[in-house]
Amino acid sequence: MIGCTEFIPAYSELFKYLESRGGVEAVEDFWRYLSDRFLGNLRGAVEEHGLRGCWLYWSHTLNEEAADFTMEIDDEAGLFRIDMHRCPSMGRLIALEHVEPYHDYCRHCDVLYRRVLEPLGFECRVDLSRCREARCSLTVRQRATGSPPYITEK
Amino acid sequence: MARETVRRTARDNPYLHKDFHGALSVAIEYLDEHFGEEAVREYLRRFARAFYAPLTEDLARRGPAALEEHFARIYREEGGGVEMTLDADSLWIRVTACPAVTHLRERGYPVARLFRETTRTVNEAICEGTPYAAELIEYDEATGRSVQRFFRRPS
Repeated sequence: MIGCTEFIPAYSELFKYLESRGGVEAVEDFWRYLSDRFLGNLRGAVEEHGLRGCWLYWSHTLNEEAADFTMEIDDEAGLFRIDMHRCPSMGRLIALEHVEPYHDYCRHCDVLYRRVLEPLGFECRVDLSRCREARCSLTVRQRATGSPPYITEK
Repeated sequence: MARETVRRTARDNPYLHKDFHGALSVAIEYLDEHFGEEAVREYLRRFARAFYAPLTEDLARRGPAALEEHFARIYREEGGGVEMTLDADSLWIRVTACPAVTHLRERGYPVARLFRETTRTVNEAICEGTPYAAELIEYDEATGRSVQRFFRRPS
């Protein structure tokens, strides 16, 4: 069994393998596939709670991943933001001496989350300019277009 | 609604995100659907050969005790039910409740058709280049219950 604590290197090596088989397009195709099939909990939380769903989703995942982060939400301003001071995934990959991270590892976050959030009425911006230091940020803004139709009617 | 901010450091929480098993299962499904069974095995072999290289070296140097320590740590972290029997030339692992498959089932994540390869192929790859081999003797698709054996290859 591959332990869940060993998943991140497995993920990084998967991206390398996919690129060797089908180029960057194969990697990106997998990211879209994963977003559609695996991020139902993020999608569901945002459909039900709007921007607050982001807070609920990442409160769960970032704590389980033992991330070093600041997370903020301003409901009135329609703003959600994560400042990742030390990404647990990239941090682990950098720390491995015998395995090199996939060259574009961090971009999967941008593709996965944007694909969920933008169709639900949010702007999603990921700053990966310092990702090789295991630092990044995610900013989600509610689009200023009237009422939030993406919230599921109960 | 309010404005809220939370600050956490790595020390505030243990690192144990079991949903990663779900992402791995989806990855196996993707490879199977788009590139076929052999791609699943080839990827897992490449990953294991790269990532577990230090474990493979340790296995070659110290024998199956190295594997026992590795798997004891994994199952201690993740829970589940496992019994291990070690002697000088072999290690038996009897998994009665696989934490990965248990988590997938509990959360309703799909279990990839070839999820067993994350055990079978990975174990075999860890042994490559050493005097040892791995065998997946039993595997239950529904629960991940398994019997695994590592043993010294006949000379």
